[in-house]
Amino acid sequence: MLWAILQRLWQMAFVMIGISVLVFAIFFATPGADPAARIAGRNASPEILEAVRKSFGFDQPFYVQYLLMMKRIFITGDLTSFVNRGWKVVPAVVDTIPVTLSLVTGAAVLWVIFSIIIGTVAAANRGKWADKLLMILGLIGISMPVYWLGDVMNLITQSRYKDTWLFSWVPPLGYQNFSDSPKGWFLSLVIPWITLAILYIGLYGRVLRANLIEAMQEDYVRTARAKGLSESRILLKHALRTSMISFVTLFGLDFGALVGGSALLTEVVFDLHGVGKLTYDALKNLDLPIIMTTVLYASFFVVAANALVDIAYVFLDPRVRQS
Amino acid sequence: MADFLYVARNVSKHFFVGSRFSSQGLRTVHAVDDVSLEISQGETLGLVGESGCGKSTLGRCLARLYDVTYGALNFDGKDIAGLSNRGLRPLRAKLQMVFQDPSASLNPRRRVKDLIAEPLRIHTRMTKPQIAVRVAELLNEVGLLPDHAERFPHEFSGGQRQRIGIARAIALNPKMLILDEPVSALDVSVQAQIVNLLAGLQEKLGLTYVFVAHDLSVVRQVSTRIAVMYLGSIVEIGPAEDIFANPRHPYTQALISAVPEPDPSAKRNRIILQGDVPSPVNPPSGCRFHPRCPYAQAKCKIERPALLAEAKGRQVACHFPLSNG
Amino acid sequence: MLSVRDLCVSFRTEQGVLRAIDHVSFDVEAGEILGVVGESGSGKTVSLLAVMGLINDPNATVTGSIRFKGRELVGLKPSDLRKLRGRDMAMIFQDPMTALTPVYTIGTQIAEQITTHQNISKRAALDRAVQLLAEVNIPKPEEAISRYPHQLSGGMRQRAVIAMALSNNPSLLIADEPTTALDVTVQAQILDLVRKLQREHKSSVVFITHDMGVIAEIADHVMVMYAGRIAERANKAEIFRRPLHPYTRALLDSIPPLRGPRPPRLRAIPGAPPSLLHRTEACAFAPRCAKKIEICSLKPALRGTEHEVACHVVNHG
Repeated sequence: MLWAILQRLWQMAFVMIGISVLVFAIFFATPGADPAARIAGRNASPEILEAVRKSFGFDQPFYVQYLLMMKRIFITGDLTSFVNRGWKVVPAVVDTIPVTLSLVTGAAVLWVIFSIIIGTVAAANRGKWADKLLMILGLIGISMPVYWLGDVMNLITQSRYKDTWLFSWVPPLGYQNFSDSPKGWFLSLVIPWITLAILYIGLYGRVLRANLIEAMQEDYVRTARAKGLSESRILLKHALRTSMISFVTLFGLDFGALVGGSALLTEVVFDLHGVGKLTYDALKNLDLPIIMTTVLYASFFVVAANALVDIAYVFLDPRVRQS
Repeated sequence: MADFLYVARNVSKHFFVGSRFSSQGLRTVHAVDDVSLEISQGETLGLVGESGCGKSTLGRCLARLYDVTYGALNFDGKDIAGLSNRGLRPLRAKLQMVFQDPSASLNPRRRVKDLIAEPLRIHTRMTKPQIAVRVAELLNEVGLLPDHAERFPHEFSGGQRQRIGIARAIALNPKMLILDEPVSALDVSVQAQIVNLLAGLQEKLGLTYVFVAHDLSVVRQVSTRIAVMYLGSIVEIGPAEDIFANPRHPYTQALISAVPEPDPSAKRNRIILQGDVPSPVNPPSGCRFHPRCPYAQAKCKIERPALLAEAKGRQVACHFPLSNG
Repeated sequence: MLSVRDLCVSFRTEQGVLRAIDHVSFDVEAGEILGVVGESGSGKTVSLLAVMGLINDPNATVTGSIRFKGRELVGLKPSDLRKLRGRDMAMIFQDPMTALTPVYTIGTQIAEQITTHQNISKRAALDRAVQLLAEVNIPKPEEAISRYPHQLSGGMRQRAVIAMALSNNPSLLIADEPTTALDVTVQAQILDLVRKLQREHKSSVVFITHDMGVIAEIADHVMVMYAGRIAERANKAEIFRRPLHPYTRALLDSIPPLRGPRPPRLRAIPGAPPSLLHRTEACAFAPRCAKKIEICSLKPALRGTEHEVACHVVNHG
């Protein structure tokens, strides 16, 4: 078991190195374009271009450029942006990570809890009104675009009903550091959490319901019935556990992608300066070093999340432990 | 070699399981391990054994659905072991395979007439009217009615679907059919129909069969000779009735004695083997059967017995074969 | 012990009502092994799923009477039925590969059945599981309880399933083709085991199979089913020595012999079992029957005392 985990971590490291090479190659080794010109930004003076060339080692072979880049991102952390003169890229990215992590983790907790409840209740009442109602609600959740939902939430909590007892606790938009004020951190994130989670609650609830219903047709569920177990025990102990395998797969992918910047729309709507927002701004300015770093960071997160999912499999499914 | 339609020499088929990175590393499964056999024109060779013994894999190797890892295959005077996919095309017309589950190999969206006509369209230059005539002929041959041609596979029972599968297999006038558990998925009352159909076709068309099955009574009924397999190797081979009357290998004896007979008054010496078939990934030393063999001796643990010829066209791979009677 | 009267099971389907079981009545005596034989669609499995109360398809209708130890099971509250299931009556299924939940150990799954019906600790239930595994001849039972289903071979899994079924000493064990998915040498081991356990536990066993050979090995009484009805019922010796129903006879004749000379052709039964969607007033076997007479256009009743048969030709000469 330990071996399987170590092996998975080793594979993860391997994939990450591969990704960094690929990303580097796409940004800096594409033929026919001068990377220095792109990094320097629009209408850069020849002096700046020359400084960029020196700073990134563009007069040296590619592998030196690559190693230099990796060194400046991971070891010295002194990669600088030329679009935003002198801005240190790595600290900028590092600053945004807690924001995104807070947002996504909180939303993930919400969506896991509620989608398990909804999926299980719907599967247990298959075909009855509770099932139909929950599935319609789920579909509505999936269909609401997050930027629209976020704006509606803001409209309600920040202006319309801001002064009523219901929403007076909602702080103004923006992020508050956990270390400054845990309560402020929590309150500032409640509405973003709900907004981001609603889509996934609908999605995961429906997926889990389908998996549970499929699991309930399995032979081992028939065995469990023949043993005289109650329907709720069969559903929760025998069907849910095996259904969680695909649930966890999906979760790993979505969580990784969200932390890697896919929560962009939520971050923009609620004025949270997370990784998504940073990448978005960098894209607008064509700030190559920042894009490079956030892309690397995002892909690392997706890979790490996948590795965690695989390790979770080892615990969830004994069949994985052997092979 | 000229007398035999099919000669297989030292055929082995290895599969690889696991991965290079896993704790046990990449492991080799010797699914078929150094098998040699000859098949005469017009006979039926039965391949029997328990799951994992390699009988289906051997069948697929003989049909060249699998590449063999080692060994030579000679069919109808031609070496076929090394043929490329392109080189195999003419072979497919002469050497056909019939599978256990006919519905899995029949496209559910096509009519029976198109399914049967498919090999004719691919392999021959027959015109449409010629094909239609041949399809009608084939339907009749396998005991289906002319108006069945317009129907879809799902409208048929399991037995009828197997008839369609057989019609497809014989469409190109093959010399040989490899039948992989052709009646196992069918109800008992329908099995006999298909067994009779196959026997009739063999007589009429001079076909040669390799009949892979786990049901020993069916194999005894259809086979001229039977090869008993255990963990990838042939342990005994010989004429069907002889093998059943006088098994020489202890495994054959135990296998036959384990078959429940539909006759409560039958007096039999039942030998119940202990344990399961060992994993072909990690087969036992010496004679592969020794851990389960009631007669095993010291030599059996060390030395692997060769398949040696005996009287009456029999061969057995055992250091201490059972005496006759 | 078990007394089934006029059991009917039908399913509503898109193509119409499927009558899986049509007025089936039978008894299982204490301590006997009743063999139920039939082809797919004969209703052999469905009738015993009905006994277990395991037909929970919303489109199914079950009528008639099932009395188990004097208690009526049809119409019993699900919670009361559940208390019987796995305790007084247990069922094992065909495919041991899929019958166990893949994510729990063998020991956990056996202990779960024990603690559901008996008020004992998990620890004590696990100790009992070790005993049970030893009883079904699983080597090293102390280690086997912490194994997962995929780590055992098919034969070992079926043993574990049997151990689980026997964990509360049921008075009725229903075995639905428990050896069909296994190799013959393993089948012989399992049949041996079922016989031994049946003697030791003195339970009644209903053994469902399509294989006349297995019936000859294991049953005391035999019930032959065809198209949702009972065709013939008698003790084993009678069925094999003097099969009366043309279907039973044809079935026995169509099996290739294991010894003696081989017939050039098998005596096959023409046609295929009928679809249960089309209700007919005729004997269901009539279209395939060589002995069919005019009166066969009416359904025959099951007649006789010791040896019962549902056939006009036999009952009316």
